[in-house]
Formats: sequence, C-alpha cells, structure tokens
Amino acid sequence: MVDKLYKVFVDATHNVFNLMLNISDISDSPTEDFKFDEEIDIAIGIVGDLQGDVIYRFPSSTSLNMVQLMSGMQFDAVDVFVTSAISEIANIISGNVLNALSDSNVVCDILPPVQCKFDDNKEFEIRTSCYISTTIGDICLEIRLNRAS
Amino acid sequence: MLWKDQYELGVPVIDAQHKELFRRVESFLQVLRSKDGWEAKVSKLNETLEFMKRYVVEHFRDEEQYQLSINYPGYEAHKQLHTGMVEYVLEVSKQYEQADDKEQLMQQFGGRLLAWLINHVAAEDQRIADYAIKSGVNGNGR
Repeated sequence: MVDKLYKVFVDATHNVFNLMLNISDISDSPTEDFKFDEEIDIAIGIVGDLQGDVIYRFPSSTSLNMVQLMSGMQFDAVDVFVTSAISEIANIISGNVLNALSDSNVVCDILPPVQCKFDDNKEFEIRTSCYISTTIGDICLEIRLNRAS
Repeated sequence: MLWKDQYELGVPVIDAQHKELFRRVESFLQVLRSKDGWEAKVSKLNETLEFMKRYVVEHFRDEEQYQLSINYPGYEAHKQLHTGMVEYVLEVSKQYEQADDKEQLMQQFGGRLLAWLINHVAAEDQRIADYAIKSGVNGNGR
C-alpha cells in the first residue's frame, strides 16, 4: 500500500506539473530528510477509506517559480496570492490522486487546503515521503494516513 | 501572456470564450499585482469581479451544452467542477462586500483563480477535446 500511494502521488504531481506548467523533466526519490530555510507547508486532509493528511512542502523559491510560470509575472516574495495559488495546486494534485485511488476501489475525499507548520511527531499506519525534483525547484510530499477501521 | 495556444480545444465558440476569460483574468492580475495603492485598483477589480460573476456562468453553460451535444461521458463530473467554481466566486463576492481587508481577500482570490483556471482549461477541458477527437465528433475544428 505504501509503494502504491507513493507512486500515485508522484504520478499525479508529474501530471499536474506537465499540464499546468509544461514541465516534464521530473525525478523522484523517497526521503526522510527534507530541509529548507524557507518553505510553505500546505496540508490536505483526507477522509474516507484512508484518513489523515498529505503535507505538500514547497520551498519559497519553487513556489515563486511556479507562480511566475503560470502568470508570466514577476513575484519577489511569498505572499497571500502565492500561497493561495500553491494551495490550489496542492488541491489539484490531491484531486488527481483521489481519481486514481477510486480506480482501485479506494474511496476517499479531500478537505480544503490549509497552510500549516509541518509536524513530524504524529504516528500513522501508512507513512512515506516523496522528494520530487523539477527544473524549477524541488518539493516534498509527506503522506501520513491510517486505514479506516 | 496567460493564454497559450496549447489550451485550444478546436471548438471555436468555446475557444473564443476561453481566450476572453484569460484576457480578463490577466488584466485583473496585472491590476491586482501592480504597486498602485488600493484606491487606484479598486474600480478595475470591482469591474472584473462583476464580469466573472456573469461571464463564468455564461461560459460554463455554453460549455456544458457542447458536452451534451457530443454525449461527453464526463458531463456530470465536469458540471460539478463548474458549480464549485461558481459557488466560490459568489462566496468571495459576498465576503468582499463585508470584508475589512478587501485587498487581502482579492489577493487570495486571484491566486486561486489563476491556478484553477489554468488547470481547468489545460487539463479538464482538454479531456472534452480528446473525447471529441477520439469519437470523431463533427464540428471539432481539429
């Protein structure tokens, strides 16, 4: 299940970056150590057959590059506009993941994105991290889920 | 420029509406992100918000009619996406009338609108075009 979830999230991220940002050169690797001086963490809650959340960790430089690429405008700092755009991208990736999971009869729903502070202390049954590297910067996805009882 | 030729579906009426939508959103973002003070921006932003309320509904209706005309199997799911966006625009519009910090609300709206619109046209709407081509529906300009 961990490997399957890892792949589904990586594929969804790849798909969204390709369609929205025209970026296809993406690589991924599992990671336990993702540290950036400045980052935006966006949590997407998951409910249904799987319950928990996925934290999308966007370094500031990646966030700014993504929004610049989408808008064609210059952005100097992460502000509420950038955070909102990045949150929507996390929402879109998660929506793609739900569609892929439903094809395997895993039925889940997502909650609206929330900016959060990454907290590594919670215990989860299913836990994995993807470090995704792209030509406009890296991101990390922390997947933390329990099976519904 | 916000619009990219790769977003074209090959359905003239829908493509024309998408281009108009992108043109308006781009103009909205340029005003929203300008260094001008709020007072200088507010009339243009109000105008765009009013446009979005009207035009988005009109465009979604036309796009849904096209989907029905080609028996697009994803019609119901796509319609739900439209409904969700219309509800969001109306909710923001309502909050805007009451908000103390209107600029903050508009910046938040602008960021989400940008990402939503690009994904919707580049990904969701492309599925309609892919279906039309695959099923050989006449009237698709490709």
